[in-house]
Amino acid sequence: MGTERSRGTTGIYYHPSFSRRSYLTTGRRLADFPGALATLLQQPHVRLFESPSADDDLIRLAHDPAMIPRVEADPL
Amino acid sequence: MEGVGRVAAGELANAFCFIGAGGHHAGRNFFGGYCCFNDVVIAVRHARRAGRLRRVAILDTDAHHGDGTRDLVADDPEVLHVCICGSDYTSPDGTKVDRAAPDPWTLAGSPDRAYLDLAQETFPPRAERFSPDLAIWYFGFDGHRGDYGDNGLTAEAFLGLADMMMDVAGRVCGGKLIVVLGGGSLTTLATALIPPVIARLAGDSPSKPRSSGT
Repeated sequence: MGTERSRGTTGIYYHPSFSRRSYLTTGRRLADFPGALATLLQQPHVRLFESPSADDDLIRLAHDPAMIPRVEADPL
Repeated sequence: MEGVGRVAAGELANAFCFIGAGGHHAGRNFFGGYCCFNDVVIAVRHARRAGRLRRVAILDTDAHHGDGTRDLVADDPEVLHVCICGSDYTSPDGTKVDRAAPDPWTLAGSPDRAYLDLAQETFPPRAERFSPDLAIWYFGFDGHRGDYGDNGLTAEAFLGLADMMMDVAGRVCGGKLIVVLGGGSLTTLATALIPPVIARLAGDSPSKPRSSGT
């Protein structure tokens, strides 16, 4: 990921798992990604980053700790 | 989290964030609507803790009310939260605002034009007065014609929103804009709408959108 200063850069945050399962679909709404971004990613000021995971400490910044296992147990 | 932090710090000009699950229906003690954790609020609080920002202006154009986000920011006067959904509300301090999206079934004119007019009169003036450090657009495309939140919209509305958000972010917070993907279920729409929205972030000039079908 690096820490370069790139004032004019557009970042795209994406993870391969998002194209397997995402939101209200059974997993296919992002089936064409990241391939659908190929032309954009040829531009030097557009960069694709893999979304890092978030640990429970971050989740607790907004949510009751008791909610975490409830989410984990939900089949969604 | 990382995208908000890097844009707030000026390391990126702006960012588009894909999601694996939704966030705006997740409140402090509840979740639903295929949302797990409130990605936007967590990211804002994380960036605040790092001293990278304080004031944030959020526009939510997912077709459904961002009830989880509202639950988490209701008592936070340093978050402007504007939601275009199914009801009208303005908090006493003016920082929490809901506006009902135009009903496409009763409109005489274009749903796209009516929606963009409502967004234009609701968000930019408030953002200018609020003077945020960062703007966030919760971009759901479920209101597109044929998707599950059908508001009769086409690509013209979503690309118009992208242009509006780029313009207002440029005027009020140095262009610092985060776009977070929201609802919408159709692969064809995701493929037609998301790349041109990102192209706007990357500086492509507004142009007549291609058809998003449906």
